[in-house]
Amino acid sequence: MSTEVAASKPESGWKLSLDTWAVVVALLLALLVRMGVFKHIPW
Amino acid sequence: MADVVTVPQVQPVQPALRFLRVVPGILLLAAVGYAGKLLEQNVGAYAKAHHWTFPNIEYVLWAIILGLAISNTVGVPEIFRTGVATYEFWLKAGIVLLGARFLLGDILKLGGVSLVLVALEIVGSLAFMTFLGRLFKLKPKLTTLLAVGSAVCGVSAIIATKGAIEADDEDSSFSIAAILALGALALFTFPVIGHFLHLSDKAYGLWAGLGVDNTAEATAAGALYSDAAGKLAVLVKSTRNAMIGFVVLAYAIYWASKGQAQAVGNKAVFLWQKFPKFVLGFLFISVLATYHFFNKDQVGALANLSRWAFLLTFAGVGLRTNFSDMRKQGLRPFAVGAIGEVVIAGFTLGLVYGASKIFGW
Repeated sequence: MSTEVAASKPESGWKLSLDTWAVVVALLLALLVRMGVFKHIPW
Repeated sequence: MADVVTVPQVQPVQPALRFLRVVPGILLLAAVGYAGKLLEQNVGAYAKAHHWTFPNIEYVLWAIILGLAISNTVGVPEIFRTGVATYEFWLKAGIVLLGARFLLGDILKLGGVSLVLVALEIVGSLAFMTFLGRLFKLKPKLTTLLAVGSAVCGVSAIIATKGAIEADDEDSSFSIAAILALGALALFTFPVIGHFLHLSDKAYGLWAGLGVDNTAEATAAGALYSDAAGKLAVLVKSTRNAMIGFVVLAYAIYWASKGQAQAVGNKAVFLWQKFPKFVLGFLFISVLATYHFFNKDQVGALANLSRWAFLLTFAGVGLRTNFSDMRKQGLRPFAVGAIGEVVIAGFTLGLVYGASKIFGW
């Protein structure tokens, strides 16, 4: 009797590319600046 | 009958753990970048106080030099590597935020000029690199990867093309190593040549955006010259990046027609998948800035956020550049890349000179 080993597939998650993540984070930061959460960013 | 035993797959790393894994590297990027900023402020003042003649070295160069020194002496320990690799993320976030400093009219005006120059650069570079690859008898797919890397946008273009034309891992490693090594050289040579030729900020920014392959290096090479040149280099480089999908699609169709890659299904989906989304983010923020969604102080705050993001990027450029790793990749692809880059740099400089004459920059 042979036994096959099959791996169960993980659920495919909702994945964003690095590119899209960078855009999301940048837009979120811009929104926080617009809302006045970050009033002054020093350099 | 065979019994089927279902073994659950190893669970993917939890998001919290994944986040913790990048923290040490991000802290290292911040430390190296901030040290570069402190060195810029203090070394010049110290030299002046002691009446030394010392060139004014900007934080961009200090951050890269410190990163290079760590990477090529003690090396980057494993615990920091995942976080250091996030420099690409900071680069893209920084470019999106930089959009606040561009008005839509400027983008259309400069983008229109750069689009024509980018088209000429891409066609010229692809043709010359293909000729050079054949001359040096490189493998055809390796030649394709080097051509795309030189013509469009460095590492991202090579990775996108590798998948589309089913190139070997070895070929893509060769191409990436050559493009990165040449990008590192461009960082130090472009500003020197620009100053030697007395290029204006506009002309130099255009040249850096057209002639330097990888986005991080193009951004750094521009910023090393001046703030204005850095802004323009990012705009031109982003225009080049926007072309990536079309070039990769053309090569995918070519290799599929030779039966050496899978046929492309839906071309519109293919183009969207390859399109760099940060270019859209950059345009979106500049539209918001154009229509006064942000006041003057907020635009200043966004510009500074963009500078902090670039600071991490510049530290990452130094930290991920290891010259001994690059030497291991062999000389021939590097030689092809080097000859190609020198010719492309000369060709793009000619394009910029031509545009300067026409537009009176």
